[in-house]
Amino acid sequence: MAYNNREESDDRTRGAKGKFKRTYHRRKVCKFCADSSLTIDYKDIKNIRYFITERGKITPCRISGNCAKHQRLLALAIKRARNIALLPYTTSIIN
Amino acid sequence: MRYYETLYIVNPELADDEYRDVVAKMQSFIEKEKGVVTRAEEWGKRTLAYEVKKFDKGSYVLLQYCAESGIVEPLKREMTLDDRVIKFQTIKLSDHADPEALKAAAEGAKKGPGEEEKMTEDDRRTEEEGENGIQ
Repeated sequence: MAYNNREESDDRTRGAKGKFKRTYHRRKVCKFCADSSLTIDYKDIKNIRYFITERGKITPCRISGNCAKHQRLLALAIKRARNIALLPYTTSIIN
Repeated sequence: MRYYETLYIVNPELADDEYRDVVAKMQSFIEKEKGVVTRAEEWGKRTLAYEVKKFDKGSYVLLQYCAESGIVEPLKREMTLDDRVIKFQTIKLSDHADPEALKAAAEGAKKGPGEEEKMTEDDRRTEEEGENGIQ
């Protein structure tokens, strides 16, 4: 839905081979900065699950939009949750 | 005093009284080492994210306590020596903590209806937030 306001002339530039090279401009806001009532806790896997991929990897902040501080705290929480078997290190499920 | 949190997993195949025994043993161990338990929670049986010592389930127990830093090592020894505990993790929550104040805060949260209401409101908000995120 945020992609809808992309304007052709501004956001699409032709690459060397004439293909459209898309650059998205999407304002991302750190969820934890926006809502101070959210806390990062390794025991609260329901909320942490949003920040890991299906494979169990940590979503990079360039995708999740987290600020550096909260990304750091989140990564620590995920690693703690992994250590105590609340979250997987890897998953073998292939969809 | 420091404020610590230990989350440990107990063998899920134990009989109920033996499980109680482990939980009581760990709590009394902390008290013996002059620690003050401020929060003790049993999460019950949960599916583990990966196999631990060939178990795919485990009973989680959470302990939060105030103690001197010297407690971590003996507690670690206690947990590793006990076969019934299959995994554990201790985390330092803060360097300086007053056990009395923490206890009072925990009880206040339990008793005070105003506090509780606030908590549920927060929970609801985080849930909504999660739903929005998925969309």
